[in-house]
Amino acid sequence: MSKFLLFLGCTIPTKQYSYEISVRNVLPKLGVELVDFPESGCCGFPLKGLNKKAWIYMSARLLSLASKKGLPILALCNGCDTSLRKIKDLLMHDKDLREEMAKLLSNEGVKLDINAKVYHTLEVLHDFVGVERIKSLVQRPLKGIKVASYPGCHMLRPSDIPRPEDPVEPRKYDSVIKALGAEVGYYPDKGGCCGATLLPYSAKHALLIVASKLKTIKEYGFSAVSTSCPYCMEMIDAKQDAARSEVGDEDISIPVFYLTQLVGIAMGLKPKELGLNLNVSPVEGVLDRLGVSLYE
Amino acid sequence: MDSRILNEVRELVKPHSPQYCYQCAKCTSACTATKVIPEYKPHLIVALTRLGSVKGLMESGIIWACTECWKCSEYCPQDVAPVEVVIALKNLSIAMGYKPPEDLKVMAKNVVELGYVSPPIEVLSKEFEMYGREALSLPELVKPYVSEGTPTNLKKLLGGVYE
Amino acid sequence: MSDVRIGVYVCHCGKNIGGVINPAKVAEHAGKLPNVVISRDYVYMCSSPGQLLIEEDIKKYNLNRVIVAACSPRMHEPTFQGVLKRAGLNPWLLQMVNVREHDTWVHENVPEKAEEKAKDLVAAAVARAAHLYEINTVRAPVVKSAVVIGGGIAGIRASLDLANAGIKVYLIEKKQSIGGKMAQLDKTFPTLDCSQCILTPLMVDVSRHPNIEIYAYSEVVDVSGSAGDFKVKVRLKPTYVDWSKCTGCGACVEKCPGRAPKEFDEGLGVRKAIYFEFPQAVPRRPVIDTEHCLWFTKGICKVCEKVCPVGAIDYKQVERYVELNVGAIVVAIGYELYDLSKLSEYGYGKFKNVISGLQLERLSSADGPTRGKILRPSDGKEPKTVGIVLCAGSRDENHVKYCCRFGCAAAIKHVYYIKHALPDAKVLVFYTDVRAFGKGYEEFYQKFRSEENVFFIRGRPAEIFEGRDGSLIFDVYDSNTNQLINVRADLVVLEGAVVPPKDWEPLRRILKVSCDPGGFALELHPKLRPFETTSDGIFLAGAIQGPKDIPDTVAHAAAAAASAIGFLAKGYVESVPYLAVVNEDLCSGCSLCVPICPYGAISVSEKEGKRVAKVDVIKCKGCGACAATCPSGAMQQNYFTDKQVLSEVVVLAGGAK
Ligand SMILES: Cc1cc2nc3c(=O)[nH]c(=O)nc-3n(C[C@H](O)[C@H](O)[C@H](O)COP(=O)(O)OP(=O)(O)OC[C@H]3O[C@@H](n4cnc5c(N)ncnc54)[C@H](O)[C@@H]3O)c2cc1C
Ligand code: SF4
Ligand code: SF4
Repeated sequence: MSKFLLFLGCTIPTKQYSYEISVRNVLPKLGVELVDFPESGCCGFPLKGLNKKAWIYMSARLLSLASKKGLPILALCNGCDTSLRKIKDLLMHDKDLREEMAKLLSNEGVKLDINAKVYHTLEVLHDFVGVERIKSLVQRPLKGIKVASYPGCHMLRPSDIPRPEDPVEPRKYDSVIKALGAEVGYYPDKGGCCGATLLPYSAKHALLIVASKLKTIKEYGFSAVSTSCPYCMEMIDAKQDAARSEVGDEDISIPVFYLTQLVGIAMGLKPKELGLNLNVSPVEGVLDRLGVSLYE
Repeated sequence: MDSRILNEVRELVKPHSPQYCYQCAKCTSACTATKVIPEYKPHLIVALTRLGSVKGLMESGIIWACTECWKCSEYCPQDVAPVEVVIALKNLSIAMGYKPPEDLKVMAKNVVELGYVSPPIEVLSKEFEMYGREALSLPELVKPYVSEGTPTNLKKLLGGVYE
Repeated sequence: MSDVRIGVYVCHCGKNIGGVINPAKVAEHAGKLPNVVISRDYVYMCSSPGQLLIEEDIKKYNLNRVIVAACSPRMHEPTFQGVLKRAGLNPWLLQMVNVREHDTWVHENVPEKAEEKAKDLVAAAVARAAHLYEINTVRAPVVKSAVVIGGGIAGIRASLDLANAGIKVYLIEKKQSIGGKMAQLDKTFPTLDCSQCILTPLMVDVSRHPNIEIYAYSEVVDVSGSAGDFKVKVRLKPTYVDWSKCTGCGACVEKCPGRAPKEFDEGLGVRKAIYFEFPQAVPRRPVIDTEHCLWFTKGICKVCEKVCPVGAIDYKQVERYVELNVGAIVVAIGYELYDLSKLSEYGYGKFKNVISGLQLERLSSADGPTRGKILRPSDGKEPKTVGIVLCAGSRDENHVKYCCRFGCAAAIKHVYYIKHALPDAKVLVFYTDVRAFGKGYEEFYQKFRSEENVFFIRGRPAEIFEGRDGSLIFDVYDSNTNQLINVRADLVVLEGAVVPPKDWEPLRRILKVSCDPGGFALELHPKLRPFETTSDGIFLAGAIQGPKDIPDTVAHAAAAAASAIGFLAKGYVESVPYLAVVNEDLCSGCSLCVPICPYGAISVSEKEGKRVAKVDVIKCKGCGACAATCPSGAMQQNYFTDKQVLSEVVVLAGGAK
């Protein structure tokens, strides 16, 4: 049994509830024990443009709290995962920075300790649970459904720090989807960006990014998209309608699932146990094809 | 034209090397933001940083258009990490009194006061019902800071932005 | 020790020394020192009257040590050693004292102190001189033959030059034919002459030359001995064809049912399991590829054996070894192309229509997989838009840091290939800088940048994606026109980075040649001695010293050959005077010195029941590393023995007063 600190970050516990619900319901069934981490909070990633030290400080704080608990961190969000690993790497190589952070943390009674290990949802599924185990638990294979994996920028980049997915040849994500019985495939710019960070500067342009992404995915014959990042989900699922109207292209309509939701569907969990009723994109189509009712 | 800005940026983007940029523009070919906002060009931002003429970038606020996709840094042949140069310029612009986008200020305030970039909201479900954490039987969200030290530290670091 | 009789000569060097200190005073002071028989000063010691003065004194006073206090020994040590020789003394009984660079030039403002220093330096030399002894160098004859490793254009040119000078040459080539990369090229920039047309006649010259013996499909596995007398062990890989019987008729190749990707066509074409590397191969002898041969893989077939009219097929052939005794070695193993699939963003190896420059050479060649038609690999259609990417992996901190030196010119040539074969095609060249530095290259660039529908775009693609029809989709920012260009190309050509061949690392260890940060062979001096190495008798030719185009390669190879000819023509190699010498009584055989020696000159062996170090006098270059390492003082270096150095130090430290 692998045991992890469930680190939710900001977006998931405040609005992307379906990710949290599906993780809480699916992972324990795969033999993963989740321990709540209520004193966690923001990883600082959104603050880096305002002040890089604030970012470093927030992640250093999280790493220290987790190290004290002696458990590895399970980061659900790509941004959180990148933050924790990047700051760990920066601190590892910069003594002055370590001293500066140790001093700040001492103000709140925390001892700097960056030893905590960091894992992303995809790694837990692919590396800890394993594709074979997942395959063996599939009750409702996702037959005939071609899923575009959408790893999201910060699952791959920056690649000079350890990443959950292979940054050069992303393949873990697709192999998990394949284990569920679905089809996978190539489309241009699979490792591309959802544009979420552009929102505060220009929502309109962020939507243009979403529209062009989804259009390509449709063109390449996919029937669904899957992501594992709450920011990407917010953009390609929640803002899909807005993106469609922004460019006035009716074609831009495709169901989007969290990877944990797909795993849950295949394992036979009820849609509500996976928060599927909270997805904004037209997920019903895919569920219908699998003979699952959203409201069962 | 002088290297002061470049030196400050170098300090902030360690261990990357903005001084080595040879203007191949591979970063801009990759850039997510450039595709939708053509005025935003990471190679030009790096070139202007080297020259020390970043006033225009700060005044216009164009540096905030970066989507932080990290592609520029991924593909740069000279390990410049333009995205980190941009982050450094954002930091410097704030230190010099320029304003960040309003939403970011709100986020910062929320992080200091609540521990999250926004308060938990209620979302609309497919059945047209509003759901919050409680209705979804998710554990209550508590303020994560165990000591007042955290917000105090953060306020200090964020300085002017938070006011 | 026999009577030490020293003569001291203090030079004025015009005003250089004489204008600061009083040389006569220094000479006078020296005259009072022990063992000094005569001391003098003179305005120009190095002039003929100065030299004559010393020569006559040696005879007149029966001197057996000479000290000259003058300029740097780098300047005039050989001059004064000549004086000693003429007077019948061993030249290493001379001791120079540098009172110019070390004294009057740097202490001009404190002349009194400078004079004191001169006196001290001379006194130290006097103490040292007592411990000087005669040093005699030894000569060893050189074997007048050479091994050339690598049969590309560099190896070919070097072999021909050596052979024409009457030197026996063994040319060792790893592949089954000589020719190297140049044989794979269609045309050559900047003149666009057909590569094979200018190369194959030279290949034939090599094969017919009475002084050249080719060992193809072979590699060097060991080198022992030293400059002038190397023993080179060569492994002849099994070809499964008895080349002495084979006539190269090709009947076997024609009938062979086995198929494999053709290396010579960079994987774009197909060859048989028994094959010639290419039709004009030299030697024109086939090889069986055991990985694809049906007999070796499945135990069936043997068609080649049946059809060979001379019975040359030999499935039981095993590797053979020969040992060649040569005076010099020329390394000419060229370069390799960087594995472009490592630039994952460009999709090489993933997308069929992303090809390397060398693959385009093969597509364009009349004997290539498409018989000279430029067709895209995915569907054999003519491309309408072709993108050429420069610096693919070069000048890149994540891949290869240096410039490949021929990518730019090759790209311009590739523009020609495409426009020549497909006049209606559009060609987009993505560059960062166009480095058209060679003779005629700028004119070449001018010509092709002016062609219709050829666009030089100053920008570099970052990510190439594949469209559903196999075309390639990507964005490039053009910093000349300040716009992002959305490209859809049918074919993308990567002008890839260049690296040393994979087997260079093991070979370089065998040869004891150093490498530069890029891994290429390190030359003795980057400007003045670019074709020699730190190992005597080992020369560098062509791209193994660093990426080079053909003109530079040929010039370099000819220079290497000339240098090797000079080395061999001299007829002997001579040991350095500053040899390391072992005092066998003191040596404990600890062997610390063995790995320290950069030239591999020291071995430790049993002698009279005891392990002692032995120095190969020809290999030793007198660097002194061993002497400094030796814990027991057994290893001493001629002219720098502990006694000599310490006696000098003692005086300088004031011990003599
Ligand atoms: C796409 C492309 C186009 C080009 N076009 C031009 C052009 O138009 N004009 C121009 O001037 N230059 C051109 N060049 C450059 C040209 O290829 C080189 O200048 C030239 O090949 C260098 O010759 P070389 O003999 O040093 O090396 P190579 O050609 O690499 O020959 C080395 C030889 O050594 C052999 N070898 C390797 N390792 C061993 C070993 N361990 N033992 C024994 N043998 C070994 C190899 O098999 C090979 O035969 C081009 C290069 C490329 C990639
Ligand atoms: S930052 Fe890097 S990718 Fe961008 S222009 Fe400079 S060297 Fe090229
Ligand atoms: S990180 Fe910013 S600058 Fe870099 S490529 Fe992405 S959007 Fe452009």
